Amino acid sequence: MPTFEPYANYLRAGLVVLIGVSLGFALTLVALRSGYGFNPLEVGPWVSWPDIGGPDVDPYARAVIARSGEAPLAKEQGLVFVARVDTAGATLDGDCDYVITDPTPPTRFWTIDLAAPDGGAIDWPGGRRGYSSVDVVRRESGAFEIAVSREARPGNWLSPGATRRFAVVLRLYDVGLDAAARPDAAVFPKILRRGCA
Amino acid sequence: MTIPDRFLVYLPWAIATLLIAAIVHVVSILLMPTLAPRDAFARLSAYATAAKADEKLFVLPAPAPGAAVLPYEDASVVVGVCVYDLTKGLLRVAGPVNGEDYLALSLHARSGRIFHALTDRSAIKGKIDLLVGDERQIESVNNADAEGAKPLEVRVVAPMKRGFVVVRSLAKRLSDTPRARAALEAISCARQEPPKE
Repeated sequence: MPTFEPYANYLRAGLVVLIGVSLGFALTLVALRSGYGFNPLEVGPWVSWPDIGGPDVDPYARAVIARSGEAPLAKEQGLVFVARVDTAGATLDGDCDYVITDPTPPTRFWTIDLAAPDGGAIDWPGGRRGYSSVDVVRRESGAFEIAVSREARPGNWLSPGATRRFAVVLRLYDVGLDAAARPDAAVFPKILRRGCA
Repeated sequence: MTIPDRFLVYLPWAIATLLIAAIVHVVSILLMPTLAPRDAFARLSAYATAAKADEKLFVLPAPAPGAAVLPYEDASVVVGVCVYDLTKGLLRVAGPVNGEDYLALSLHARSGRIFHALTDRSAIKGKIDLLVGDERQIESVNNADAEGAKPLEVRVVAPMKRGFVVVRSLAKRLSDTPRARAALEAISCARQEPPKE
């Protein structure tokens, strides 16, 4: 293309800006979708981001929080763990039945509930959404089991409603857990799949 | 033109593309907290204006599907919020806690950063008493103190003029919800005039 020769550099510069800007926004989108910045605390299927609840929250985490609109729990108030997979590593599916079983890390109080993938409430009219360490029904040994199923179950039961995608949220209030040390997965609840519809 | 030559011709353009991408990425991440239209502060101040509760503690409704004011809130927790603006004066957050039921209070800057947090366990003598102001306001309060007098409240310097306070009160059982709500409503947010010079 001899006629374009004098303008070749302008064309290249324009292309560079175009590709650069879209690449930059693509990077941002990927970064915002892959959790809250740095330092996740991963214990089995459970993931927590303790740093989002402190004054030293990094810019990536701040950007994610600003977009989702949440007000995180402060680090010294407790830890929030979210599981989107079961203990075997498979994505949680509303068509399947699960049981969440003890143990739980030593903490003043804990709660377990279900949330929509975006953190919203599960669409489940009339049902209860969560259990706490005080009101969960336990066996004599103190052990507990929470069934997660669309069908009603005796004992502790939570329903994911009509949605297929959901998350299990474990909140540990006033927990003595050291977020800097890797906690042992053996002291965290297990999410076991019991079969699919 | 051999292959290395062509490579050298395009190398500067490739570097320029990556540089632009990096700049766009960093700037968009850093600007997200200021530009995100639906961050926690925007959601809460819109709710406060609608509920006519500016600078007062208001209790958020229990999360409903697709209508939660804040995402990722615990279904077992009653959430109270007050939105503040320090340009109009200092903010006093005070109230009794019983040290038995979990109650957590956190101060959030508009950008989403938590700059102060406590739970009922860390409350002094069964009550929470915080005075929030910017650096200048807190300094003038400190100067107005009588010589040697110990302040009765905890004074907190806010990094930004605007922000919000989140109070979370845990209902250990479903039937405890009214009690948790009462504990929450015992906490008050009020504007306090700066001391006369």
